Amino acid sequence: MNRAWVVLITIAAGAAGSGCAMQAPKPWQKGVLAKPEMTMAGDMLELKFNDHTWTSKEASFGGFGVGGGGCGCN
Amino acid sequence: MPAAPVSPNPASDWCGSVVLAALSLPGLLAAPLPAAADSAPEHALLQFKTEHYQDSQPGFQRIRVEEPALYGLLPLGEHLSLSGSAVYDVVSGASPRSYSSTSGASRVHEKRFSGDAELTWYADRSSYGLSAARSQEHDYISNSVSGDAVFAADDNNTACNVGLSASRDSINPTNDIVENEHRTTYAGIAGVTRALSANDLLQVQAGYSTSHGYLSDPYKLFDNRPRRRNSGTGSLRWNHHIGGLGATLRSSYRVFHDTYGIWSHTAELQWVQPVSLRWVLTPGLRYYTQSAARFYVDPPADGSPFPQLPDGAFSSLDHRLSAFGAFALSQKAEWHLSEHWSTDLRAEYYQARSSFRFIGQGSPGLANFQYYQVQFGISYRF
Repeated sequence: MNRAWVVLITIAAGAAGSGCAMQAPKPWQKGVLAKPEMTMAGDMLELKFNDHTWTSKEASFGGFGVGGGGCGCN
Repeated sequence: MPAAPVSPNPASDWCGSVVLAALSLPGLLAAPLPAAADSAPEHALLQFKTEHYQDSQPGFQRIRVEEPALYGLLPLGEHLSLSGSAVYDVVSGASPRSYSSTSGASRVHEKRFSGDAELTWYADRSSYGLSAARSQEHDYISNSVSGDAVFAADDNNTACNVGLSASRDSINPTNDIVENEHRTTYAGIAGVTRALSANDLLQVQAGYSTSHGYLSDPYKLFDNRPRRRNSGTGSLRWNHHIGGLGATLRSSYRVFHDTYGIWSHTAELQWVQPVSLRWVLTPGLRYYTQSAARFYVDPPADGSPFPQLPDGAFSSLDHRLSAFGAFALSQKAEWHLSEHWSTDLRAEYYQARSSFRFIGQGSPGLANFQYYQVQFGISYRF
């Protein structure tokens, strides 16, 4: 798992470094954050379709939420 | 949770709701439009979407799926909303019983109905959701319930989320290899979302899932998997707005590990580019790689169709448990017809090969796998 740890550490270090270098927004600076594409959400049915496809073709699942139940395709 | 202090600045209250709304994680997935976190969504939404899916391997058209679906979101007063979806799948074609072998592939023609509903309560700087879901096929029924909560910190730039779910599945395959089997799964997730800057939103989540019961695939040959499977995930999502281009880069990464011995990494990028007041284009790229389950058995080197397996040993010849990597390319176009109506078209092409893997070993002799899917949707907001 050496490669896996390299990926994890690189991403964590990048995220931490970028976060430290940024300035948290003031209340009047949050207009962009309210845009639909800036949310962690998305098109509900598109996400549902894609999640269903990937979890039925790959061994992994989850990571971004819970619920929804299973199906016989995996 | 202690009562949140009343903000002296009404604008601050609104801004505080932004991170909470941005997090917006009712149930499995999120609402399609952001809503104020401390009150129900201002608008209702009805959405129809349909998907056409076809997968294949060289010389063999495999599974085809037609999947129409409905989604609705309805505000019920100032603090409550109801949402739900219904999906109907028609699946036809053939699937290999072992590896990517086409001889003796199992024929499929079945229908699946799934539906879910969620009730969400919005309080000051927090929201609480309860949902139920059911998926039904002639040989597989799954029922689940879940709950989630989101809490925004007083600094208005941070929100925490937690979620729990339980599901109970009943399995009665048509080949009678087992009868009245069950699978029970409990899952939990917790995360933090942080506005790093006026243009950056970051989310970190950790999840855990435990399943027990019949976890094998009854339609695969020599498929005998352990009856318990625990898994953990770590995920990172980062949305960055590029003001000069008016574009948003949405990125995500997930690591997965389970007691089957599988590791996987998933990375995804989406570039959301408005090209006019009414048109938005979103190209996407996804990469996935996994190692094999420890009981996955590679095809015999001598060319015989099946490996020699000791009686009762855990084993699987399912290529989905082998080591492989996959790339997916997608393109979505959204057309906002008016204040109320919008439509979208999305296409995706996916290819998996053992040689695309970044981690893991083995998997010789498996055919490449690919699919394409096309989604068309139309939404009415009122």
